[in-house]
Amino acid sequence: LGAGQSIQKTYDLTRYLEHQLRTLAGTYLNYLGPPFNEPDFNPPRLARAEQVPSATVDLDLWRGLTDNARLAANYRAYSRLLCYLRGLDGQAGTAELRHRLGHFCSSLQGLVVSIAGVMSSLGYPLPAGPAGPPLPPGAPAAPNDFLKKMDDFWLLKELQTWLWRSAKDFNRLKKKVPPAVVTLRLEARGF
Amino acid sequence: AQRHSQQDSHIQYERVGADVTMKCGSMDWDAAVTWTANGTDIDDSHLNGSYLILKNVDLTQSGQYSCYEGSSWHLKYQTYLRVGTPPKEPVLMCRSNNYPKGFYCSWHLPSPTYIPNSFNISVIHGTREMVCEKDIFPKNRCHIRYLQLFLTVKYKVTLTVTNALGKNSTSLTFDEFAIVKPDPPESVVAKPVPNNPRRLEVAWQNPSSWPDPESFPLKFFLRYRPLILDQWQHVELLDGTSHTITDAYAGKEYIIQVAAKDNDIGTWSDWSVAVHATPWTEEPKHLTTEAQVTETTSASTSYFVPPPTTKICDWWAVRP
Repeated sequence: LGAGQSIQKTYDLTRYLEHQLRTLAGTYLNYLGPPFNEPDFNPPRLARAEQVPSATVDLDLWRGLTDNARLAANYRAYSRLLCYLRGLDGQAGTAELRHRLGHFCSSLQGLVVSIAGVMSSLGYPLPAGPAGPPLPPGAPAAPNDFLKKMDDFWLLKELQTWLWRSAKDFNRLKKKVPPAVVTLRLEARGF
Repeated sequence: AQRHSQQDSHIQYERVGADVTMKCGSMDWDAAVTWTANGTDIDDSHLNGSYLILKNVDLTQSGQYSCYEGSSWHLKYQTYLRVGTPPKEPVLMCRSNNYPKGFYCSWHLPSPTYIPNSFNISVIHGTREMVCEKDIFPKNRCHIRYLQLFLTVKYKVTLTVTNALGKNSTSLTFDEFAIVKPDPPESVVAKPVPNNPRRLEVAWQNPSSWPDPESFPLKFFLRYRPLILDQWQHVELLDGTSHTITDAYAGKEYIIQVAAKDNDIGTWSDWSVAVHATPWTEEPKHLTTEAQVTETTSASTSYFVPPPTTKICDWWAVRP
């Protein structure tokens, strides 16, 4: 698969996941119950939530990212988000919700693999140690149920935002990496 | 007698339907006075002693009220009465038509208050208050510049409207992505394709307000229909800013519009300005007499043949 097709496939998977997450997150937030499922719920972001990789970025910085840095940021983020999400799906109340979370985790794993595929097709090394511990050492588990739910809320929110960002990232990459050019470059290096 | 006015008048606001009592400055209740409204004397039926009583005031009673001392005609009191209403909950709308530059908020009152109102808008993002820069035009509008992108924390915009008779407010909470809505596509052009009686070429441009179509590509929705039908046909276009309609009814004038949306987030723009076009039709040939006769008999029985691919309407409905 050329880099161009690989990027297109990754973009399509991102859009699929974004669509899937929209309904899944709605169901999960309903499972968490009020206030988490209220549209105007707009809690302050607690320090705990900072552990989840944030998609927020300065606009000019984002524009100026090299392709390698752009892909590496995505790869690291989803690797870590996947860890957290797996922590989620073990305790979700209903069997049906656990099943849907499990299915989503598998799809997200597919995205991580897909991003890795794009990176290797472009000749970029994978970032070392993608996953890292589910919680950084020394960070306590949520002391109470409400804070546990708050963690879940921010995880889903961050994941949704990452998927929006990735769609833009891969849009940008699609434009910058036309399939033909890349194939020539690979041959020139004697691959 | 000459009326002396040295009292500086002030503005008095009253609600529609209120009962208003005006005292003649420091004059006693039983002093002889004359009241005027916009220079016209008010008859005594509205007076209670030297007090002016206005029952169940309405908008037409706004105006300048003056009270003169009976004998010296000295102006003892003057006010400008403004009859109005307290503000209703304002209508607030925030939208990003130039993503990722920022967003603007605009507002209006659902009904007039007939008296001056002042608006105050606050934009809170997480724990930070952001400055919403007022636009010179249009009046009730301000805009916010994004410093960062892909934020998970929502924006909360609160608009408060105040006038002399009351105060009201409304607020919106939204994600960065939810309010992305481009302006309609611009410079829409449609033209026939020579020698192709079933085709129309449509082209347009990205809305000029959309700053970075490269990084934030738009997709488009085209709708078209012959003027003689009500049912639109639609086609979604993932990229590019042109399209060739290939199933047009021969010889029928078409109305065509385009809408735009960010490829991944937000909502569709409004429809563009409508353009009209008629597919190419063959020039009538120069006929000899015999040819003319055959031509005339067949003309009255010519049928309008809808394209085979027509699914959406009964072809018989369009027969002449």
